[in-house]
Amino acid sequence: MRTTRTTFTRRGFLGLAAAAAASPALAACGGGLGSSAGGSTIKFWDMPWSTPAYNTAAKKITEAYAPSSGNPKASYQTIQWSNFYQTFSSAIASKTGPAVSTGGGFQAFQFDEQGQIAHADKVIAALKKNGQFDDFLPGVLDAFKSDKGYVAVPWQLDMRVLWYRKSLFDKADAAVPTDWPSLLAAGKALKKIGVIGFSTGSGAGNYLGNHFMIAMMINNGGGVFTPDGQLDLLSDRNVEAIEFVSELVSNGVIDPAAVSYTTDNMDTQWKNSKTGYGLYVTGLPQRVGDTSGDITAASPLTGPHGDKATLVFPNNIMMYKNTPSQASSEAFLVYYLGQLKHLWQQKLMNAVPVFKSITELPEFAGDPNNVKIVKEYQPIAKTFASRGTVLDANIAVLDGGQAINQFTQTILTGKSDAKSALKTFQSSLQSVIKS
Amino acid sequence: MTATTHGLAKARRGVAPGGPGRTPKKHTRTSTLKAQTTRTFFWLLLPSVLLLLLINGFPLVYAAIQATHNGSLINTGAFVGWDNFVDVLTSPGFWKAARFTLVFTIVGVFGSWAVGLGLALLLRTRIPARGLFKVLLLLPWVVPIVVSSTAWNWLVATPQSPVPSLFHALGLGTPLFLADPTLAMVTVCVFKVWVSFPFMMMMSASALASVDENIYEAASMDGASRFQQFTQMTLPLVARSTYISWILMTIFCVNDFPTIYLLTGGGPVDATTSLVVFAYRTVFQNFQTGPGVAVAFLMTLTLVIVSALLYRQIRKAGVE
Repeated sequence: MRTTRTTFTRRGFLGLAAAAAASPALAACGGGLGSSAGGSTIKFWDMPWSTPAYNTAAKKITEAYAPSSGNPKASYQTIQWSNFYQTFSSAIASKTGPAVSTGGGFQAFQFDEQGQIAHADKVIAALKKNGQFDDFLPGVLDAFKSDKGYVAVPWQLDMRVLWYRKSLFDKADAAVPTDWPSLLAAGKALKKIGVIGFSTGSGAGNYLGNHFMIAMMINNGGGVFTPDGQLDLLSDRNVEAIEFVSELVSNGVIDPAAVSYTTDNMDTQWKNSKTGYGLYVTGLPQRVGDTSGDITAASPLTGPHGDKATLVFPNNIMMYKNTPSQASSEAFLVYYLGQLKHLWQQKLMNAVPVFKSITELPEFAGDPNNVKIVKEYQPIAKTFASRGTVLDANIAVLDGGQAINQFTQTILTGKSDAKSALKTFQSSLQSVIKS
Repeated sequence: MTATTHGLAKARRGVAPGGPGRTPKKHTRTSTLKAQTTRTFFWLLLPSVLLLLLINGFPLVYAAIQATHNGSLINTGAFVGWDNFVDVLTSPGFWKAARFTLVFTIVGVFGSWAVGLGLALLLRTRIPARGLFKVLLLLPWVVPIVVSSTAWNWLVATPQSPVPSLFHALGLGTPLFLADPTLAMVTVCVFKVWVSFPFMMMMSASALASVDENIYEAASMDGASRFQQFTQMTLPLVARSTYISWILMTIFCVNDFPTIYLLTGGGPVDATTSLVVFAYRTVFQNFQTGPGVAVAFLMTLTLVIVSALLYRQIRKAGVE
């Protein structure tokens, strides 16, 4: 009997051990299959758009949401940028994703293509009712209106702005550029005093070089796409724009090492007065800690054919089909959009707001650079979709993809002429986008 | 009847080597014990095997499905057979990445081994503050790669960085370590050697510790030079550890994503794009899940072959 008991005990132990070991794994598998997004709350996922104080403030806004009776409350979670697409994809695939989220600029279009996005038409209707619709800056909503409805709602504009350091221009005795020839002349003058004439970069994780290339194309009336969304990289305007960039490179106006510059490298150069002029994000003085007013927003350049344009990334809030209640997601989003002003009032955001009323707040309008950006840049800002107007999933492949990185780095290293580089760019992009 | 006696009774019913009808008790008992031991091992191993199957098997099968479909991370998409593998293998980008991976791996494995072994030998000699040196030499391996890549970037990235400034001061021009494609490849490989040599140093040091000092004395008395002692005694005696460390470092190098991605992002102009960076970009920047996973499969296959070849070397050396 002892043997029997021993055998039974051992087997029993092993069985229990196996069951104990397997149950978390099985539970993990099963949890994904059975659970629905959010459960009893509206899950709002947000990105670190600014300092940690931003996320604290956004969380407060989310948790202060008082839904009408019967609707669930909202919960807040910060998602890191590192591997964010994987994070969202895995969560959506396992039905544990958010009901509402911010995210990558073109993420909504990617997930919409895969049938995961709940369109925001009812939110837009509610905004029309409460007056917020008329408060949007001109044109910011247009990019989100697809044939099937509004894919997402914009909440801030990540604008590319030309900045200059006044003291270096004085030292170089150069005029602030207004067009391409004066940009080349100023760049040469700045180079003579040993500083960078035009700052850009295409190192690890730095996409400002890519943005500069596209910004120059659209500043010349060109762009990656035709108005109906076909690839159009080899247009004369694009070739002309990239030839000009190559001229900046060959004249040393753009630093020969720019191809490897990270945003940290660029920040350091701006901070240490090694850069005179360049394209960067909004809030550059705050970013590099310049309180002297020496770094100032320049006016947009006029292209050789009279075009004026800059690049903008309209960051947006999207809703997902996997939600405890679509009406609740919509109600929360309407509420959240109404609270955005607090983020600018607390000076937590460097980006441009989408609502006119926020641009008029003293906390925002107190900075003359902000006023200039809203007045001079916002009206001429165009998206990556340019010359088209509506965003789609293909833009996500363009933004930060291999094709554009390789193109930018080829031009910045001066290894190829404009036409050949654009031709390679076009064929590389063609092979990865969906027609 | 207990399980054990039941088993014995069953065994008795079998035909034993001693002839039919006879019961070779001793042999049967041994066989039964063996069978019991096997069963015990089986049950002991079963939970681990099941866990391994769940943890490794499921993602592997899922990856195989993705590699043969044209979907995304959310939807599997349509079955495309070997198309993704064909696309990848006919892509110039893949072969460029494969070439850099080969260079990176060879330099990473043998560079870090040479430096590690050299330092391990040096640390066997009587040098002052040997313990402190040991700790300091481990730092590149211990420090998080994000920190060391940031430090290296600060050292070499811009013309104003310390290393290019030093070159400039010495009248050697201002080398653009990360902007020039060839120099960027060299920099990334040197960075890998710098990060990895402490691991090789530890492996070599532990292998050298097991070598009896007396054999060197005997060799010296027989007139063997230092070089002969190193090539004909030290190297063969630490061969097992060396092969194992080569296998491990090969796997580390081929799968190394952060060292490259954090320092150069794979640039300039894809000069430092390895296969793992290529796979990452294909999946997460071009959003082509199938081809990206196909690259990962090809990498795994290559690693299995290389590891098998190196294991054969271990067997040949009679040190398995």
